[in-house]
Amino acid sequence: MPIHDQGYRRYGGRRIPLGRAWAVIAGAGIRAVLGRRRFILLLILAWIPFVVRAVQIYFSVNLPQAAFLAPTAETFREFLDQQQIFVFFITVSVGAGLIANDRRANALQIYLSKPLSRWEYLFGKLAILMVCLLLVTWVPAIALLIVQALFAGNFSFFRANLYLCPAITLFSFIEVIMIATSMLALSSLSNSSRYVSILYAALVFFTPALFGVLLVVTGSSAMSLMSFPANLRQVGNAIFRLPLPYETPWALSLLMILGLIVGSGLILERRVRGVEVVV
Amino acid sequence: MVAPPANRPTVVASALRIFDLSLGQMLWSRRSVFLAILVGGPVLLAAAIRLATILEHLFVHAGNNKQIGGVTLFGMMIWLLYVHVIVPVLGVFYGTALIADEVDDKTITYLFTRPIPRRAVLIGKYLSYLTCTILLVLPSVVAVYFLIVPINGGSVGRSFPLLLADLGMLAAGLIAYGAVFALVGARLKRPLVIGLVFAFGWEPGVLLVPGYLKRATVAYYLQALVPHQMPLDTTTIGILTQMFDRFPSITTSLAWLAAMTVSALWWASRAVEDREYVLEQ
Amino acid sequence: MSEERGIITAHHVSKWYGQVIGLNDVTLAVPAGITGLLGPNGAGKSTFMKLVTGQLKPSQGQITVLGERIWQNPALYFRIGFCPEQDAFYERMTGLEWLTALVRLNGVGDRGAAEMAARALELVDLTAAAGKRIGAYSKGMRQRVKLAQALAHDPELLILDEPLAGMDPIARRKAIRLIRDWGRSGKSVVVSSHILHEIESMTSNILLINQGRILAEGNVHQIRDLIDEHPHTVYIKADETRALAREFLGAADVLSLKFEDQAVVIQTSRPDAFYARLTAYAASGEFGAIHEVTSPDDNLQAVFKYLVK
Repeated sequence: MPIHDQGYRRYGGRRIPLGRAWAVIAGAGIRAVLGRRRFILLLILAWIPFVVRAVQIYFSVNLPQAAFLAPTAETFREFLDQQQIFVFFITVSVGAGLIANDRRANALQIYLSKPLSRWEYLFGKLAILMVCLLLVTWVPAIALLIVQALFAGNFSFFRANLYLCPAITLFSFIEVIMIATSMLALSSLSNSSRYVSILYAALVFFTPALFGVLLVVTGSSAMSLMSFPANLRQVGNAIFRLPLPYETPWALSLLMILGLIVGSGLILERRVRGVEVVV
Repeated sequence: MVAPPANRPTVVASALRIFDLSLGQMLWSRRSVFLAILVGGPVLLAAAIRLATILEHLFVHAGNNKQIGGVTLFGMMIWLLYVHVIVPVLGVFYGTALIADEVDDKTITYLFTRPIPRRAVLIGKYLSYLTCTILLVLPSVVAVYFLIVPINGGSVGRSFPLLLADLGMLAAGLIAYGAVFALVGARLKRPLVIGLVFAFGWEPGVLLVPGYLKRATVAYYLQALVPHQMPLDTTTIGILTQMFDRFPSITTSLAWLAAMTVSALWWASRAVEDREYVLEQ
Repeated sequence: MSEERGIITAHHVSKWYGQVIGLNDVTLAVPAGITGLLGPNGAGKSTFMKLVTGQLKPSQGQITVLGERIWQNPALYFRIGFCPEQDAFYERMTGLEWLTALVRLNGVGDRGAAEMAARALELVDLTAAAGKRIGAYSKGMRQRVKLAQALAHDPELLILDEPLAGMDPIARRKAIRLIRDWGRSGKSVVVSSHILHEIESMTSNILLINQGRILAEGNVHQIRDLIDEHPHTVYIKADETRALAREFLGAADVLSLKFEDQAVVIQTSRPDAFYARLTAYAASGEFGAIHEVTSPDDNLQAVFKYLVK
């Protein structure tokens, strides 16, 4: 009778090809976030404006007296603007610890000693925050578009505003990528998620304050370049074909956003390493 | 055994010793360096504006093309930068972290196994927060004052009482916010997020709502201490500030701020005395 | 042990964290002197230490230290020194600065605190590194400075949670000597570890803990004696092992024997009778020289293995 070896046996099954480890990191991170009661509560709160808008659309479609509530392109633009407060709190609560907690636990070395590249690690982390942010920006905005068609019973609004769907998508992704990369970069700078949160809050509130002073000083809104929320607003209005709020050319605002993304990437490239060489 | 001292250190004496221990840690930590950069932002801006006016490439305008004096501009900067952003940010960051930082760093054990009341630890760290933030903020304000006020004929000497009033107001803000966020940090599990919600969600929102709700904010009383007149115009800032017309008197505001500070610190002390701090393994 | 006479007494103490029980209905009295708290990881040693040092409050029951309740009683810390397990410091401070600052919290003046700190650093052989930042210390130095802050103010009772972790063998020996000296000078020490020979080298008075319960307390030899159902193992190295074995086989208390390299290992249920017989055989000279007699059982590891099974 053959005696079987009870010791360790090498895995003989199929292996996922290299380059997909980011999906494992992202999946685990998203599951962890969705398991948090506080996050679910925040998500529910973030969808309340969607409910309010949906009710508004319903009344506008079904009650002639409420026709003034009918949605326009601006409605969707405003909706995405209103979601900013939830975007801020989700970014702080989900994003601040993404890399900072790994640094604190000395887990970076463990991650990067596995067969995954730095960029897979970063992309996986980025994906966690991006998914959470898209859940309160792109998803409810597209859902609102669908709800409009459902309540109206036709696609006439959709056909008349064909650019809305790509506009919502483009703006949401620009916004989410900008916020997620900058938060990830800040998270890589420290091992304290609390400190990262306050740095991010300072960035979000301080640059508009600086712009506010310059607005009064110069009487011109051309200095909106120094405020990242203002840059986003400028690009957003351009995408939605709405009047621009500031005098700055929207292309310059877009360039600033791209600059922030690139700058964040450079910080991440520098900070996310398995080993730090101290000279 | 070294006998316990005949006169055991009082809460105040113990707090001062904690203050001694914590001040260096707070001032020279990397985090404070970054926050010093934040506080340096207004100084850089002020220097840039001053340089531009000297080079006569920039005229300082209000919306109706009148030139704003340096004093008004200084007041604007105090309002927009310090009162609305810097003071609340510093209050949230340091206030919520008074004990939490020690818990995260696992050094709280050394402080809580000394023969001093736990509330002395909180008070001592609060005092070091206050010293650290005042050392960061007030020189920044003074630098901005000397850079901005001379613009368009402003007099540094004549406006000096305004500077003192602003410094006092900002110090009062740091004192009150620090105490309120110390309470948040001592009582709640996610104090930073709650603190940010309070400072940048609740306060700005509630201040726009007529009624008594605004009395549940620090900003309401702090605004009563702001000595500056805002330029009357139709910009968003002008409209908002015009809505803040009815404020309590300075004495009432100071009294309420003092009451908030004392009660917040008292509650926070109670929380620290009663709470168990389980350090993560 | 009498609860009333212990320096630390626990009366039906339980501590839980949510659904997890850290300590489960513990009643004990720790006597004066050096007591070792022994248990595997997760046994409840650190929970017990934290309860005894007033960092945690019992969910149930009462704990007294030096005759007083410890929770919310900061005055007791004049008499207690605690060396925690975690490796956490104010990294930017030098060893001397840090120790001085902590001693000052005991109400000692500046100069006195500096002297006491310097003395404590000398005790742990860190005088040369006193002016160096703690962030630059090696693991062993960090452990020693942690020990120094616990004894700098000359407390009556030292509570040490894994004090030898990370120390090199020489530093370890010095620390053990220090702890034994401390005990000899009339102070009390409660030292926890999961490393058995460390505890054995410091004290024979132990508390065994596992899964939140106290398994046994007292002298390690007494505990061993109490475990009647477990046979006592004796290792005998001799010239005539087989002849010896033949003699021993006839005795009713011998449960088993086996041969190892020039030795015989015997299990007996009555060690006293067995040793008396062995002495007689050795004295008779009939079985050649007996070179070595040891009992692998009469140590903590064996005791622990029996109790934890």
